[in-house]
Parts: sequence; structure tokens; C-alpha cells
Amino acid sequence: MREYNIVITGVGGQGVLTASNILGWAALRAGHKVRLGEVHGMSQRFGSVISYVRFGEDVYGAMVPEGKADVLMSFEPVEALRYINYLKKGGMVVVNTSPIPPVQVSMGKATYPSIEEIKKVVEEDFKAKWIGFNAEKLALEAGHVVTTNTVLIGALTQVPEFPLGEDHVREVIRISVPPKAVDMNMKAFDLGIKAAKEILGL
Amino acid sequence: MAKVTDMVLWDKPGEKVLLLGNQAIARGALEANIAVYAAYPGTPSSELTDTMAMVAEKAGVYMEYSTNEKVAFETALAAAWSGLRAMTAMKHVGLNVAADTFMSAVGMGVEGGFVIMVADDPSMWSSQNEQDTRVYAKFANVPVLEPSSPHEAKEMTKYAFELSEKFKHMVILRTTTRISHARGDIELGELPEEIKQAKRKFGDFKKDSSRFVDVPSNARRFHPQILEKIEKIREELAECPFNWIEGKEDAKVGIIAPGLSYAYVKEALAWLGVEDVKVLKLGTPFPVPFKLVERFMDGLERVLIVEELEPVVEEQIKTWAFDKKLSIEIKGKEIVPRIYEMTTRRAVEAIAKFLGLEMPINYEELDEKYEKVKAMVPPRPPSLCPACPHRNSFYAIKKATKGKAIYPSDIGCYTLGLLPPLNAVDTTVAMGGSIGIAHGLSIAQNGAINESQRNEEKKVIVATIGDSTFYHTGLPALANAIYNRSNVLIVVLDNFVTAMTGDQPNPSTGQTPHGMGKQIPIEEVAKAMGADYVAVVDPYDIKKTYETIKEALEVEGVSVVVSRRICALHKIGEMRKKKEKWPIYYVNEEKCTGCRVCINTYGCPAIYWNEEKKVAQVNPTMCWGCGGCAQVCPFGAFETEGGEQ
Ligand code: SF4
Ligand code: SF4
Repeated sequence: MREYNIVITGVGGQGVLTASNILGWAALRAGHKVRLGEVHGMSQRFGSVISYVRFGEDVYGAMVPEGKADVLMSFEPVEALRYINYLKKGGMVVVNTSPIPPVQVSMGKATYPSIEEIKKVVEEDFKAKWIGFNAEKLALEAGHVVTTNTVLIGALTQVPEFPLGEDHVREVIRISVPPKAVDMNMKAFDLGIKAAKEILGL
Repeated sequence: MAKVTDMVLWDKPGEKVLLLGNQAIARGALEANIAVYAAYPGTPSSELTDTMAMVAEKAGVYMEYSTNEKVAFETALAAAWSGLRAMTAMKHVGLNVAADTFMSAVGMGVEGGFVIMVADDPSMWSSQNEQDTRVYAKFANVPVLEPSSPHEAKEMTKYAFELSEKFKHMVILRTTTRISHARGDIELGELPEEIKQAKRKFGDFKKDSSRFVDVPSNARRFHPQILEKIEKIREELAECPFNWIEGKEDAKVGIIAPGLSYAYVKEALAWLGVEDVKVLKLGTPFPVPFKLVERFMDGLERVLIVEELEPVVEEQIKTWAFDKKLSIEIKGKEIVPRIYEMTTRRAVEAIAKFLGLEMPINYEELDEKYEKVKAMVPPRPPSLCPACPHRNSFYAIKKATKGKAIYPSDIGCYTLGLLPPLNAVDTTVAMGGSIGIAHGLSIAQNGAINESQRNEEKKVIVATIGDSTFYHTGLPALANAIYNRSNVLIVVLDNFVTAMTGDQPNPSTGQTPHGMGKQIPIEEVAKAMGADYVAVVDPYDIKKTYETIKEALEVEGVSVVVSRRICALHKIGEMRKKKEKWPIYYVNEEKCTGCRVCINTYGCPAIYWNEEKKVAQVNPTMCWGCGGCAQVCPFGAFETEGGEQ
């Protein structure tokens, strides 16, 4: 495989970096060349964040070029839209549909589009497949909102032709979370898989 | 996934790990047997310094968080003079702070290897300007190494020490955000015995006043010596393992790619399916090894230089080619953008244009589609954290001045006070600049308080500055304002850490990587300097903070109010580790009148507006329990019984 590109987005503090790190390690353990590009500093303070996960034989730069992402995974619906230009034609969007309205919206200075509107842009204008569900709710079901991360990664492994094995990714999560949180995360991972399978009709 | 500290110290040569570029450099420094490391944090260089802090004791390395880049530079330089391998790191603008020592010390040379890591931030993701350190290096006649991947960054660090020692000349290791903050597969090398055994190395400074005293007679001797050394280094770099020629040997077209641009060029060529080219991968943008360039140019008719930011390599090569009367077409900044960071897309665009090829993706169409989407997406700039004490300080300042003052501010998290709804930052220039600018504004508009002629119509000026910045370059500015008698209020936002770059300690914290140092209280410094009014407040008590600021504004002269409360992000991190709980606030919907005061004047990111119910609400996963909202809401709608996290 020449390259596989994942773009992960969300709001600072949601665990975007942790998710990309987990995927990066899974790819490294699978023997790929790996590049992760991430944001630090000021932009992490509750602003919009983006990170890049790339692996394969032929990856060099840490950023995914626009129009080249196989998957766009977003922790927040509007953040999926913000970076939709990274997605390749016919790519996949894996998104947590529970919104975090920005301050500008609360102040009445900007409007927040509805989930339906966002989905429409993804499916119609960008001809991409939409795997959208409330991952936060599933995370709470698994035990804690911090597992939203794991729920989404679980769903990601169900993307058709996803090159990293489900169990392989599961193993990396198992060794990277604190021992006490393993069961909770495994449950979250399974809930993510189930949600994606339902949407994809698998 | 092992811990970063473990991986950086792992005695497992050949093992592959996933590390951040900055962490890889720290590993490289350990593999090179570094003895002394000193730096002031700055994005995107900070993780190198933090990693060194984490491993220092375990590796027998002396490490300090210095108060600014110049001091850090001098600390490491003196160690290198004493024969030790030493390193300092900073962001590009940090080199401006260190520049005085940097420019003057070049000619004195070093004994132990001295490496200056400078992290540039093209596109200014977290910076106040976009400067290219390679220009500085050329100006100072210091060689620059520029990696093309995180792994190469580690290898180059080792090489940089060797090069520096061989020529007794300082060396710059220049990264950019996309190297420093990129993670890649890193192959671990051997660690020296002394590092493995955590043996602290001590140096020996040999006095030599003809070398270490920069009086004019010595300096005059240094300058020709520096130029001579650079030419010798240029010769050496023709054989540098980080420079090479690849691709089709008899191609007529060539591409020169310095540093990270090499990565983008490789991707672009593969993407475009271009094979009929020769590539010069250049890890040493200054001095350009002309011998190697000459070999590369042999047989070429056209050359494109794909380089990020300034035409540093381009100007050297064009001048050289002109002198050699080469009839090769050389293109660079005519095609490759001179502003913002290089990307694969930009490299593809430049190469396609140069070779007259079609773009593999119709970017015009994509951009057009995306323009329409952008209109739908609300902005989400970074904001001060929930429970951030700075929000309360700004809120109190704005209230006490009725929003009518001028607010010079500084570099740190609190620069975000610029954003609505606080709008409490009018100027930010450079570290420590707030106090200097406040003083200048006061002199210009009101006059000094000891001047015979003063402006009747008094303008109120309230400067804000963080604790770390105060010790960085605020100190001389404060002395100047007090001495020259301006009329300003300086609010020092003391949260005990250098928050924006990742919670590094400073003199207000007192902690050092080797244990407890000595804490220096800011109010004592202000008093000792002779400020006309000094007070300390807790910004979590908004009313008291407001009253103190009002009182300070009555005083003529320089007033200093230290607004002290630990950084919320830091505190929450500690509480999470200790599994401690904090109260979660919620809005009593009966009491909320929908006035939006909490949103429109205070703006904690955990508070949002519920359009259906027409009430404010708290996102419980974001509330860090400071109770600021409860103090701000005129109707007492924020309550806390119940939820705990
Ligand atoms: S990191 Fe600390 S100082 Fe910065 S915004 Fe958050 S709470 Fe405030
Ligand atoms: S208590 Fe209020 S102001 Fe403080 S973090 Fe929670 S919602 Fe924000």
C-alpha cells in the first residue's frame, strides 16, 4: 500500500491527539512507515483542531494534502465540515454528531448548521459516505465520556478496506489506557463497531 | 505504548518507536552525550525542552528552564566553552532575544560541541511573525542543518555536535512546525555509557582573554577567521551524509529541495508520476556546498529550487551560477510561494507548472466547492479555558475601567483576551512588550508625572503580562517605567506556570527539573523596584479584584496588581491524576432570564445558549467548577448542588 491518509478533527481537549497517536502506533506495529502531524500551543485551547495520520510505504510529509484523505474522522459535527476539503472523492466521514456550539454561536453572531445540512454537504457536494452517530452517548453508556475516542476508533475500523485489523487496533488501545480503564474502553470500542456496522448495513 | 520518557531513555538500539520530532531531537542529544541543556519554552520548540527536563536527572544532564533565550544561550555557551557538549533551543522569535550574544559570540568559537535548535513556524500557527532562521544563520555565518523527517532530526542532532566540535564553531539545527510537531518512526541508536549511568559531566574552562573578551582588537581578528571557517565548512558539507543526489542520472531537469521540502518534493513527484528528474536533497541550506551543487548541475538544462519561505538556498546558488557563467535556467521564488508553509499541494503545483504538466486533482473545482461550505461553518478560535483565572482578571479590568482604557498585553494564553466577549487586548508585539508599550503610550498621551507640561485629558492605560513573561523581559521594562515616571497600571497575571507552551515552571513557580529552586514573588520585585502601588489579589474573587483595580487606578505613577491563581488547565490535570472531584455548575432554568450576560460579557466556553429554551446552559463535560459564572450572573442562576466530575 502506497499510502493511507486519515484526517482527525475536533475541538481542543476532545482527545484528537490521543486518537491519532493510537492509530499511529497501530500502523507502526503493523510494519508501516508512519507520519503524524498535529497541532500544539495556542490552537489547542478549545479551538478547532486538526491532526493527520499517514502510513504506508511512500509517506514523507506529516500533512495530508487537500483532496487526499481516505477518511475524515471528526469528534464534532461542524468540525467535519470545516475540513471537508481534505477528503478524497468517495471518501468516508466518521463523525460524532453531538455538537459543541462555539462562543460566537452562543453570542448570536454566527449560526450553527443542522446535522441534516452538514450531512447533505458531505453526501451530495463531496460525494462521500457518512457514518454519523452520537458517539458521546455511546461513550457514556460504556462508562465515561472520555471513551468517545475509542468509540470513534471502533467505528473507523469498519470503514470498507480499512488497512489496519480490528484486533490489532484493539490491542494498542488495551496497552495505552490505564489498566483500570481497559474494560470500559473495550466496551466503547465494541459499541463503535456496532454503530458503524448498523449504518453501513453490515 | 511506552511512556515518552522511557522511550527517549531506552537502551534498545535498533528498536523502532513513534516519537515527536522534538522528542527525537532530545534522544539525538542523549546519543551525542550532551552535558548541559538550557532553554526558554516557545512553540514549536517546547517539547524538546520538556523532554530534556523529564530525562535530565535520569541521564546525568544538567537542565534548566532559563528566564529567557539570551540567558539560556549564555548558559549553554559557557558550558561549551568549558569543553562540554551543550545545547539550547528556542522558537524563531526567541533567536531575536538571544541575538545580541549569538552574533557576538560566533567568532570566539567553542570547545565542546554547541548546538542551537531553532524551531521556525511557517504560516504562524502559534507565532507573531514568520521569520526564516536560515537568514539569521547566514547573517551570523553559522552553519545550519535542516532535517527532512523526525528520524533525520535525531541523526542530524548527533552530527551537529560532531560538526561543531570539529570546527570549534556553533551550529544551528533548524526545524519547522511540521518536523517539531510531526511524529514519525524513529530508529533508536546507541546511548553512551555516561548517559546510561546518569553520570553528570563537568567541564574545565581555560582562560584565554584573546578569545573570550570581545574587545574591538579581538573582534577585528575574529571576523576574517569566521569567514575562513565557513569556507572550510562548505567544503566539508559536500560530503555531509544528509546531502545527496538521487533520481535519473542523465536527466535534463533537476530539483533542489532543502530540509522538509524534500519530503514534499518526493510526494509530489510520485503523485505526478514524474521520473525523468534528478533531485538534490539538501540538509545544509547554509553554507551551500557548491562542490556538490556543481556535480548535480552537470548535464542539467533547467533547475527548480523548491524551498519554504525565504530564497536562502536560491540566492546562494544563483550568485554562484552567475559567477561560474553557467547557462542553466534556475527558477525558485518565481514559482514557489515565499509566504506560509510548504505543502505537498504547493510542491505539486510548482513542479507541474515548471514542467508544464496537468494537476492530478482539479483544485480550482475543489476550492470553489469549499468556499461555499466555509460560509456555513461558524468560526471556532481558541479561547481561554473554562475556569481560567485570566478571564476573571480581564472581566474585572474591563468593569473597573468601563471598557474605556487602552489595554496593551503580551505573549501568552492571555493574548486570547483579545477575542469577544472580553476584547481586553489592544496591542501585543513581543515578549515583555506590554510594559514598554504601556509606558510609551502613557508618555505620548499623558506625559510623565514629573514633567512640567502634562495633558489635561488623561488616558487610562492598563497593561497585562504573565508571570513567565514578566521574568522573561518584563523586568527591564518595569524598571524603565518606574524610573521614568509614567502613569500606568500593570496587572501581572500570575498563574505559576508558563501555560501556553505546556506548563513549564518559572521563577514564580520556583520548581526546577532538579528539584525545588527558589521562588521569587512578583510583588516583592515590584516593591523593591519602587512601584507606587502594589497589591495581590485572587481573581476567583471577582468583586475584590474589581475593587483593588479601581483603587490602583486612583494612584498616580506605576501601579502593579498581581492577580494570582494557579492555571486552571494545570490544576485540572493534577486533580484528574489524583482522581479528585470538582463541582459542576448548571443553570437553574427557572432563574435564568435569558439576559446572556454570562455569554456576552464573560464567555466561559462551557456556557452555551439553548435556542429552544432561551436559557444559558452549562456543558457538564467542560465545566471546571470555578464558580465565576455564579459571580457574574445578575440573577443567581448558576448553581452547583448535584453533579460532580
Ligand atoms: S491554560 Fe491556564 S492560563 Fe491558559 S487559558 Fe487555560 S486556564 Fe487559562
Ligand atoms: S463554574 Fe461556570 S465559569 Fe467556571 S468553568 Fe464552570 S461554567 Fe465555566
